[in-house]
Amino acid sequence: MKDPLVKAQAYPTKEFFVSMLTRDIKLEDAILDLIDNCLDGALRMANGQSVDYSKHLVTIKMTEHEFFIEDNCGGIPRDVAAKYAFKMGREASDSRDSESETIGMYGVGMKRAIFKMGGFAKVETCHRGDAFEVIISSAWLGDPGWSELDIVATGTPSIQSGTRITVEKLFSAVSHHFKNSAFENGLRTSVSEHFTMFLQRGLQIVLNGKPIPPVKVEVLVFDDDSKPAPFVYEKLIQDVTVSITVGLNRSVQLGGDDSDETDDEDSVEMDRERSSATAGWTVFCNDRAVIVGDKSRLTGWGDGIPLYHPQFAIITGIVEFRSSNAKQLPITTTKRALDANSEIWLEALVKMKEGMRVWTTYTNAWKNYPRSEQAKHWNAAKPLPVREVVTKIANRPTAKRQEGTIEYNPSKKDVLPQPPHKTVNTRKVVFIRPIPEIKELSEHLFENSDTPPGIVGQKCFEVVLSQARKTGKKP
Amino acid sequence: MSQANSLPYHLRPNKAADRELFLSLLARLSGTLHLETFRYVGLGGPFMEDFRMVHSRIGISDMICVEEDDAVRIRQEFNRPAPCIACVQNTLEEYVRSTDFDKPVILWFDFTDPKSITSQIECFASTTLEVPDFSILRITLNANPETLGRPKPDEIQTPPDGTKDPDDMKPTLNEWRLERFRKRMGGLTPNDSKAEDMARSTFGRALLKSVQFAVDRELLQVRNRRIEWLLATHYADGQPMATATLIVLPTGEPLPITMSSWPFYTKPSSPLILDMPILSSRERLALESSGAPDKFFDFTLPTAGLAEDSYASFRQFYRVYPHFAKVDL
Repeated sequence: MKDPLVKAQAYPTKEFFVSMLTRDIKLEDAILDLIDNCLDGALRMANGQSVDYSKHLVTIKMTEHEFFIEDNCGGIPRDVAAKYAFKMGREASDSRDSESETIGMYGVGMKRAIFKMGGFAKVETCHRGDAFEVIISSAWLGDPGWSELDIVATGTPSIQSGTRITVEKLFSAVSHHFKNSAFENGLRTSVSEHFTMFLQRGLQIVLNGKPIPPVKVEVLVFDDDSKPAPFVYEKLIQDVTVSITVGLNRSVQLGGDDSDETDDEDSVEMDRERSSATAGWTVFCNDRAVIVGDKSRLTGWGDGIPLYHPQFAIITGIVEFRSSNAKQLPITTTKRALDANSEIWLEALVKMKEGMRVWTTYTNAWKNYPRSEQAKHWNAAKPLPVREVVTKIANRPTAKRQEGTIEYNPSKKDVLPQPPHKTVNTRKVVFIRPIPEIKELSEHLFENSDTPPGIVGQKCFEVVLSQARKTGKKP
Repeated sequence: MSQANSLPYHLRPNKAADRELFLSLLARLSGTLHLETFRYVGLGGPFMEDFRMVHSRIGISDMICVEEDDAVRIRQEFNRPAPCIACVQNTLEEYVRSTDFDKPVILWFDFTDPKSITSQIECFASTTLEVPDFSILRITLNANPETLGRPKPDEIQTPPDGTKDPDDMKPTLNEWRLERFRKRMGGLTPNDSKAEDMARSTFGRALLKSVQFAVDRELLQVRNRRIEWLLATHYADGQPMATATLIVLPTGEPLPITMSSWPFYTKPSSPLILDMPILSSRERLALESSGAPDKFFDFTLPTAGLAEDSYASFRQFYRVYPHFAKVDL
């Protein structure tokens, strides 16, 4: 008789995929994965041609009982459904997308999203008139075996050239999230950010009946070659085109009344106010925003560059990685995080920091001047996304172009505005006093106890300075 | 910082009507929840009018009046309308953080300072997890969009006919405000916010949506409690204000049945708009006796810019319109 203990079992359990793998992904990211699949479908449908996203629609509905996502992005071909789409993990023999800039590469997104949400799913699809459905039942999920799923022809297609995924028997934590308005608002914002490029090209994503607008990540550029422009760098590294731009965002145009600034300058609230979502670094991989507005060491802040501070809230950096070989892109399996050890990323980071230095130096030069003084230099500048910035700046005669590399450093081209009276030494004066004393002085100086503390402090300074100049005496 | 000592609340009809609606809500809940056993915490200003009314109408006798300014607190000690009110020098946020509530509380976050609006909303939201079940929380926020800042005239475009010039890179006033609003509210910004939500008549609703998101975000962390919104208002007597009131309930506990028939039962997504004009006694009596028709006088009744029609606003809330009269003592 054969000894049963001489062979070790080395195959994966279903439990691992159904219950464990889902822990590595947030619910929100699982939904973004499903939208990614829709967009990959649109790219395949275009068959190498440019995609007209305005013809594509993704509809999502989530309630405490059910989730569904439907698209008109071509549907799943029957052979793909049979061989690849429902398999856990991608086969080496799956040669789809070798020529297009899709993002799917691991073959887990759809399944992981379904397993994350509930105990029953139906995938209905129609590809070139061939309509069928596949059901993932709770019985199949609970069974340890990997039995094949039935592909059932549905005759008259309920959807035109697209796919609809419905998940029922939602897990209670998922149901709790789906009925929560803050979760829905957060998901909307994530979709706005992550798919901003597609939304700006006309793609419609409708969540619970309301279309989602794009969040624009842009930097300011002037048409005039002699006027300010962002730092730009573009290079082909391995199979990946890396485009980098760092410049100022629209916040610099929001000068405002400077008395807003003098009050409670150091409060947490004001710090927060100056840290807009798109300040910092945004990284795109094949048009998906992998991270948005990063202000951490990951993108170079505090690593040879000062740590992020509200003074830098007017700086926006954008990096774009494009490749038809998705495996080369510096992202993790969740597609919502960077693979920070990737060679391509590390090479890009060097240039990102070079660009940041231009603008941290710039903001240092302006930090003691009113916001409105700086704003007037930028009011006529146009906010543009990374692609358009690179194209525009590449056409400047002073841009360096050699061996497929484009480079433009505005601080070396003498196009950045300088603060006025740069020779005059000015410093900001900040101090803290008890509120009753501020009120007392406010009453004394302005006959009104509610004058902003900054104005009260400034007046005190002026009064004493003028007194000192008159008498010439020290107190 | 409370500015309660500098504003003449007693002459503001819409503020008074809003307070009356809140008292009416408490009265409606009182029979079921026995609110007289609750603690009431709020900001009283120098005259503590809210405390006087809550004490006399609801019968609550465990009351804490929080005041940051010690000069005002000393004045409160003199003015307090009932000895059961304890006057505490503190900020409301700090008081809530440092107090272990051992019985249900009615807590009114009556904020007026717009500079800290995000932390005010977050403080209100996090309190929903800290108070005992059946507690009632209310927030008042400054809903004047001018508090987002004032652009310099050359920083915005002001098209004479209101149509934006697409070739002009400058934002309109409300686009300028929307950028500021996004920066200020961060993740609490409603994703579908538009420039037109930053107008005087609409800004309060945008703020209330953020309040709703902040509370819902907190509730994602717990499974054993839920909240029900009870009353939301947007009013102005000059300064637009927005309010929202909720009750904290154990999961599965239904809303007291008395609420379903209350005509002012509202959620932050569709607040009541209180924009009644200041009326002379003669005008008020004439309007009331005529049933407040669409148009009654030959002259225009001004609005504070929230409601389109001051007659309609009066018609909806005339029962809670305050009766102010001069008394010589």
